[in-house]
Amino acid sequence: MTASAPAVAALAPSADTGGVNGVALTVLIFFFVVVAAAGFWAARWRRPTSMESLEEWGLGGRSFGTWITWFLLGGDLYTAYTFVAVPAAMWAFGAVNGFFAVPYTIILYPIIFIFMSRLWSVSHRHGYVTPADFVHGRSGSRGLSLAVAVTGFLATMPYIALQLVGIQAVLEVAGVGGGGNWVAKDLPLFIAFLVLALYTYTSGLRAPAIIAFVKDILIYIVIIVAVIYLPSKVGGWGHVFDAAEEKMKTTTNAATGNPNVFIPGPKAYWAYATLALGSAMALFMYPHSVTATLSAKSRNTIRKNASILPAYSFLLGLLALLGWVAIAAGTKPVGLDGKVNGQLVIPQLFEDMFPAWFAGVAFAAIAIGALVPAAIMSIAAANTFTRNIYKAWIKPDATVQQEAKVSKITSLVVKGFALIFVLTLDKSNAINFQLLGGIWILQTFPSLVFYLYTRWFHRWALLAGWAVGMVYGTLAAYNVTNKATGAPFAGSVANIPVIGQLGYIAVTAFAANVIVAAVLTLVLRAAKAPEGKDETIPADYFADAGDPRVEKLAVGPHETTPSA
Amino acid sequence: MSTTPHRHEAPPANKGLLALAGVLLAIPIVALLLVGTYAKDEPRLGGFPFFIWYQFLWVIICSALTYSAYRIVLKARPHVPMNPEGDAYLDADDAPREDGTR
Repeated sequence: MTASAPAVAALAPSADTGGVNGVALTVLIFFFVVVAAAGFWAARWRRPTSMESLEEWGLGGRSFGTWITWFLLGGDLYTAYTFVAVPAAMWAFGAVNGFFAVPYTIILYPIIFIFMSRLWSVSHRHGYVTPADFVHGRSGSRGLSLAVAVTGFLATMPYIALQLVGIQAVLEVAGVGGGGNWVAKDLPLFIAFLVLALYTYTSGLRAPAIIAFVKDILIYIVIIVAVIYLPSKVGGWGHVFDAAEEKMKTTTNAATGNPNVFIPGPKAYWAYATLALGSAMALFMYPHSVTATLSAKSRNTIRKNASILPAYSFLLGLLALLGWVAIAAGTKPVGLDGKVNGQLVIPQLFEDMFPAWFAGVAFAAIAIGALVPAAIMSIAAANTFTRNIYKAWIKPDATVQQEAKVSKITSLVVKGFALIFVLTLDKSNAINFQLLGGIWILQTFPSLVFYLYTRWFHRWALLAGWAVGMVYGTLAAYNVTNKATGAPFAGSVANIPVIGQLGYIAVTAFAANVIVAAVLTLVLRAAKAPEGKDETIPADYFADAGDPRVEKLAVGPHETTPSA
Repeated sequence: MSTTPHRHEAPPANKGLLALAGVLLAIPIVALLLVGTYAKDEPRLGGFPFFIWYQFLWVIICSALTYSAYRIVLKARPHVPMNPEGDAYLDADDAPREDGTR
């Protein structure tokens, strides 16, 4: 419908979104069917003797080489947050809220290069599937392991919700889901959700690994076309930046009261740097990031990946800039309810500027780009629940088959929770919850990463530090109120005590966490508190594919509670 | 587990090379966290403000540095296989066969 008259559509987008974009929607549905078929077929790919174990269902048999891991990690890390939320933040608030994602995804890789191969090795040796598995084996503390597991489970849920918000944004711009009644409004989302849930259930991690190929190819095509074609349509990059500068210098963020930012001024340096650093440190604490890493077939797959994954960062930067292209293009992201919704800005830009069939391809790219991480996240959250909550606390003698069964069911439950998030929460609120997820998950960093190197920190001190970080972070985020509406959890940046600058709350909470853990360690050492049993040996941290795995049953006296 | 006390520790490594790899990995982190060094509009490059293109440039630099660190780490600490029991390393004679390069 917009194919012949993109200019008209740009002038009257609110009238346009009211109708169904038939061509774009058909293309979107076509890709969706292809992807769903691939998802179900994936169960047969590199077929294992049985899918009825967490190793196979949840880690793809730990058989993925450099390229599959690259696609999988990319499919995992670059989500609806990247494709929908970051450009939306650029469009609405500018560089500090949006472009920090570029330094974040650059410094991410040196950080994971350093510790991820150690985690791979020790997990390979001991059969760990989740971060909490490792923490349990290393610290001998079920309590600390539970804290890590619960944090991972909790922080993942709003993240999955965000993926569903991304799919919803695409569907809304395509013109479906706008019916007056409740069922018609959310029916397409339910269908997308159901297909996702079913193929994840049958194929496990193999499904997103296969689909990630389709997704990445689509995304690359769309982005390359978009960044070459769109700026020339709106007067070139120079004009794009001028338009962005104009908008950013004349508007303020209604929620925080801060001025919008074209290029960060001295007052925003700390915010920009801590948002990048905190996000980078937090990302690989999520169970789903760890899952994707552990499914690699050798120790060095991860390191090699760390040097080729930045290709995605380039992509991310270009995507972020599309938010500013939309400013120059005069895109008006008006939802079906008639209100301005920043989350719609990229799909709306595509619908306005591209021929309808290519807009359909772009919609498919975004929607599939949300489905893949949603699948991986729910698998990882399910693994965490099964191993570290169900098996550790509820049914210690569960068989391998029972574990896989519980995981599959939990993966459905977790997506159900996410769906509830989408249906009940304000969309812009969901993004703030995701940022809160970052604040929470970063508090597991000391338990996971410090333990990869040293057992100096006492397990109880780490638990106390975690608790302090969680409470401080949650309260500080709660206290960031929306100046326009008075609602809590309006942002993730607050004043840093001592330094007196604005910074990402996750980093401040992390600092408090580490200080508490260090001080209490000294106290507990002096009090000669029991240390707990370490089931790992230093050599475990350097093991590679081909080295023997530790057979848990034969291992020995420290196995007071069965753990795997 | 204490039946084979020998060689439980990390495989031997060239500490100097490891430190070099660490420095290569630290460079992009430090450079990008010093926001004040690049938060400016001029000079523009093809219409892109310095702030934008400078960070894009670091994507490539960081990739190169990380790859260098990867090669260095492989050299600095070659993989030493474990014995079939998995509680110690094989003797040095049959060790240096695989270093993870592929």
